[in-house]
Amino acid sequence: MRLAPFSTQRDGLLSLELARDAAGVDIGQVPRRLKPDATTTAICGYCSTGCALTIHMKGGVAVNLSPTLDYPVNLGAACPKGWEALAPLAASDRATTPLIRGAGGRLVPATWSDALATFVGRVRRVQERHGNDSVAFISTGQIPTEEMALLGSLTKFGMGILHGDGNTRQCMATSVVAYKQAFGFDAPPYTYADFEESDVIVLIGSNLCIAHPIMWQRICRNQHRPAIVVVDPRKTETAMAATQHIALRPKSDLVLLYGLANRIILDGGVDERFVDAHTTGFDEFAAFVQGYSLERTAEATGISVEALRRLADTICKGRRVSFWWTMGVNQSHEGVRVAQAIINLALLTGNIGRPGTGANSVTGQCNAMGSRLFSNTTNLLGGHDFANAAHRAKVARILEIDESRIPAKASWAYDQIIEGIFSGRIKGLWIIATNTAHSWINQADLHDALGRLEFLVVQDMYATTETAVRAHLVLPAAGWGEKEGTFINSERRIGLLKKVARAPGQALADFYILKLIADAWGVGDMFRRWTHPEAVFRILAELSRGQPCDISGIEGYDMLETLRGVQWPLPEGESVDPSTERRLFADGRFFHDDGRARFLFEPPRPPPELTNARYPLTLLTGRGSSSQWHTESRTSKSAVLRKLHPREPYVEMNPTDAAPLKIARNTWVIVESRRGHMRARAHLTPVVQEGQVFIPMHFAECNQLTLASFDPYSRQPSYKHCAVRVRREGDLGE
Amino acid sequence: MLGEPRMQSSVVRLPLIEHYLREQSRATAVERFARVHDQESLAGKDRYRDLIPVEGLKPGQQLAFQVDLDACTGCKACVTACHRMNGLDGEEAETWRDVGLLQGGSADAPVQQTITTACHHCVDPACMKGCPVNAYEKDPVTGIVRHLDDQCIGCQYCMLTCPYEVPQFNRRLGIVRKCDMCAGRLAAGEATACVQACPNEAISIRVVNTAEVVEEAQAGGFLPGAAPPAITIPTTNYVSRRPLPRNMLPADFYRVRSSNAHWALAIMLVLTQFSVGMFLADFLLASAIGAPFGSRWPAYRGVLAAFVGVLALVASVFHLGRPKYALRALIGLRTSWLSREILMFGLFAVFALADAAISIAPPILRRDIEATPAAVSVLQMLVLGTGALGVLCSVMLYAATQKQLWTFGRTSFRFGSTVLLAAGSSALTMGLTEELTGAATIGAHAKRIALALALLGGTKLLWELGALVHLRAKSLGELKRSAILLAGELRGAFVFRFVLGAMGGVVFPLVLSALLGSGPVSPSHAVVAAMGVACIVGGELVERSLFFRSVSVPTMPGGIGR
Repeated sequence: MRLAPFSTQRDGLLSLELARDAAGVDIGQVPRRLKPDATTTAICGYCSTGCALTIHMKGGVAVNLSPTLDYPVNLGAACPKGWEALAPLAASDRATTPLIRGAGGRLVPATWSDALATFVGRVRRVQERHGNDSVAFISTGQIPTEEMALLGSLTKFGMGILHGDGNTRQCMATSVVAYKQAFGFDAPPYTYADFEESDVIVLIGSNLCIAHPIMWQRICRNQHRPAIVVVDPRKTETAMAATQHIALRPKSDLVLLYGLANRIILDGGVDERFVDAHTTGFDEFAAFVQGYSLERTAEATGISVEALRRLADTICKGRRVSFWWTMGVNQSHEGVRVAQAIINLALLTGNIGRPGTGANSVTGQCNAMGSRLFSNTTNLLGGHDFANAAHRAKVARILEIDESRIPAKASWAYDQIIEGIFSGRIKGLWIIATNTAHSWINQADLHDALGRLEFLVVQDMYATTETAVRAHLVLPAAGWGEKEGTFINSERRIGLLKKVARAPGQALADFYILKLIADAWGVGDMFRRWTHPEAVFRILAELSRGQPCDISGIEGYDMLETLRGVQWPLPEGESVDPSTERRLFADGRFFHDDGRARFLFEPPRPPPELTNARYPLTLLTGRGSSSQWHTESRTSKSAVLRKLHPREPYVEMNPTDAAPLKIARNTWVIVESRRGHMRARAHLTPVVQEGQVFIPMHFAECNQLTLASFDPYSRQPSYKHCAVRVRREGDLGE
Repeated sequence: MLGEPRMQSSVVRLPLIEHYLREQSRATAVERFARVHDQESLAGKDRYRDLIPVEGLKPGQQLAFQVDLDACTGCKACVTACHRMNGLDGEEAETWRDVGLLQGGSADAPVQQTITTACHHCVDPACMKGCPVNAYEKDPVTGIVRHLDDQCIGCQYCMLTCPYEVPQFNRRLGIVRKCDMCAGRLAAGEATACVQACPNEAISIRVVNTAEVVEEAQAGGFLPGAAPPAITIPTTNYVSRRPLPRNMLPADFYRVRSSNAHWALAIMLVLTQFSVGMFLADFLLASAIGAPFGSRWPAYRGVLAAFVGVLALVASVFHLGRPKYALRALIGLRTSWLSREILMFGLFAVFALADAAISIAPPILRRDIEATPAAVSVLQMLVLGTGALGVLCSVMLYAATQKQLWTFGRTSFRFGSTVLLAAGSSALTMGLTEELTGAATIGAHAKRIALALALLGGTKLLWELGALVHLRAKSLGELKRSAILLAGELRGAFVFRFVLGAMGGVVFPLVLSALLGSGPVSPSHAVVAAMGVACIVGGELVERSLFFRSVSVPTMPGGIGR
């Protein structure tokens, strides 16, 4: 104890805890305790925005991070998940050894040697008993492209597995199909600078402020005082920031878009020169939408004729109109046609290929775009087609494998794999870096399905996810920041992630796990050139040659590092100016053989489950906050992120709906659908319209309610529409 | 598979596993991609130049946060950036910023507005005024309210005085910490962490004129559902082009949350009040039996009362995050009621111990002292006087926080009645015991004291029950929130408090008064009285914990379900 208790202690050890110093990092001063001796950048591993994070390293290990100022994507900003990206790595429930379910039914730590023997032995046993196709895999949009490619190649070319899909089915499949059919290739055409160049920005089914806050930053930087139109049933944070909010009835978006197209055509808003030169099917489309008068559209959408006219007028008058959509469109029973209705609007007004325009799908996961090109699930590696013999030959030649190893049949989609479990066709399932037992639609059925499997392998960072706890074998994976590779972001920018932390225990990068499995399976030789991620990247670049996504001009990781990421395409021989952002279709040439984009359309169908007297409310689901990511297997590991979102499940409900049910504010209620129920706190707010309720998807119980219905073309689940009812917790149900 | 012979699956090459495990544990991207920094990077400074003041401050001005509500869309990057770039405690989830949500409007035009908030660097900071160790200072030039971490003793009083819940207690360090507006960054020409982090440039640092801030605070209307600005005059300026509808409320408005029980403080309060009450009982008993003031021969009374007082002070030290610096708490006498309370109870303890020492002094010494009864009576007056002032300081300590549950009237009744209950019940017990042992004669006073005690005990309980009247209030104010907590979440403790209070403060005294009417004092009387004391002590302790737990006041808008 100091002798002078009455003197003021201005400095000391406690003050030093918070001392800050200049450290030569672009953010300026940093905590002295965490002052880096070196830094490196890495692309964030959550969403598809693809922000670069400057990792602060001390003694070779990451101690802190800050968003990278000179990276063209995020310009020095990051959302809370990015800021807290290091926290999930240090979680106490990391899987640190393989786990094998023992005789007592418990998961018991095992050596890698035993785990690999178990994997190979049991997968083989299932295949021997039920055929090669009885084992399937579910992959992810969360691992680097190189690992996806290795997984897809090992399973399909090495292990004779036919069916494999990714969790990207849950977020991006609709956009993939929509683009493929309309443009001839899955090619989001935009660059983020388009947000800044537009004078009209139309956001459809996108709560950009919460889901992609760093893309919203680009809208904030727009100097053209843009009209911002938000099409969303809820008055979201983004809708609040809009100049026009079209609070349409859920799933009336297709009618809305057809009605707008009709009105724009009538108003003379068609860019005839563009339509004639670069599209096909316009006349049929124009004839089709004639039936969608403003009155009929108003009737179906609940939007006034006046508001519709104003919106059509805004689009007509805009010189650089960009259309953006996310899950509100993709997760729909007719999402492909809705996305194409958006594409149609961009095509007929000639808003594509120029700065500030485009029909732009905002992607979900950090590497959904990598998965779309290189996961070897729906598409053959490099955006090729399994059914195309020339494509198979090309891939076989480059990979130096027997062409017969490449299946000519397409894989089942995620829902078909789950259905295959029920029909007895799928007996073994390998799930990599996704949390099916939380995220898949209609959980009661899903859990039933998982129980029927003879062998379930889960490869994940955590042994505690809802899915991992059901596994027969858990393979401990290194996470983001513990390995190398590349991600492709929403604007097609390929960026590097880096190994900046040591994985705990015996956790291994998925790349190494897959290499070990290849070896144990006896096909190690097939991947002898796949020595490390960068070697794989070079193989993938070679595979992409001649494709719309040609990246043969990217020499390697050093080039990606120097150029601050590269947007595809970059064919060999083409140079890239790192200061320019690149968009597709500037020349009006699309990827169909005739070079023309297609107008695609179809009469709207009602959603499969309509409300009725017993289930009078429509359940909307979506992202709850920017501090949560999907099933929260990672974001829940940061104490700070946990502080920033609701701890208990809640349901947003309109006060008018709550009153007759005598539901008081903030009390517990039961939300029921025909499939299940969940307990939630009632949050009464006019932000949701009468007749609708909203529940964030981050609560596992949410998918007890959802209806397993799918877009027929993309097989993407329609998470955002089903019928429910709500009652007070104390009241009896039926 | 494709018809080729399969390899036996059990053959797994161990060296390969070891190779990959080694690769995995090998050092990181540093070797290949690291950029080494040895000079200060200036790249960031330009970007945020418009968001921090360029010119110096004039007298009458200070720095303040400005938030453009139209630009804030609730991404909460500011919270995490502040956490990361200031090196806050990860395990304690320490955050100096928060983002709340206001919702309102009509069915046709619903409105929601996210609100980022941090320390408001008030013109009249309540944290600073209340701090007993002067661990807060308001920078004379910038107006930034800075917390001196090494000076803090962890009493957490600032957490009660700040109307916006800004100071955060760190259990690991035993101190509170708070936002310093990144003073060092501003001094170096850099923007604060939150300003740099906001993707929408919603936060900026501006120069404000103090007089204007005061004027605006007096006019009320800071943020819906937040504490009234007149208390501390917060400087944060929330600006918007569109006025918020008048029915906007925080998303957590209807969430009524209980507060910390602060058991160490509850024990300290009840025991100091008991100690003072016991000295009062001693005085009352002496008067009752007609002994001259200053004379007291059952020595144990003073010893017991002083012991309870010292115990109270020991308990209070347990409340501190850094108890070994407890003595510092006297520094803040000029402004802090906590310092004054500690001083008064410190003096009280000294006088009480002196008094106790005299009462048990060897007869030779005592003869000399008792030869000067005036000195003894002055000492007793000092004990009672400092004790009473100490209790008054305790009252003021809570009244100063400007919470409706803790107003001067309510708190003085609460604490004062505890003193009187202590005085009555201990007088009864001591008087009856002394009569039994023949040490003194309480006689007919016992019955009168018992009846008075029952009346007081009953009145206090009824008054506390009266808190539930606020359940009928139409508006969800502070007192209704407290009532909701007492009737709901805290119901068990509230009922327990009544059982103890009714037993000790009403039933036992009434039984005693009935028994005392017939025949001489028996040991059973003293036992009943002692049981009464025990129940009262227990009841008051629970009451005091509820005093802390049931306080529920608006701070700043919070989010849904938080």
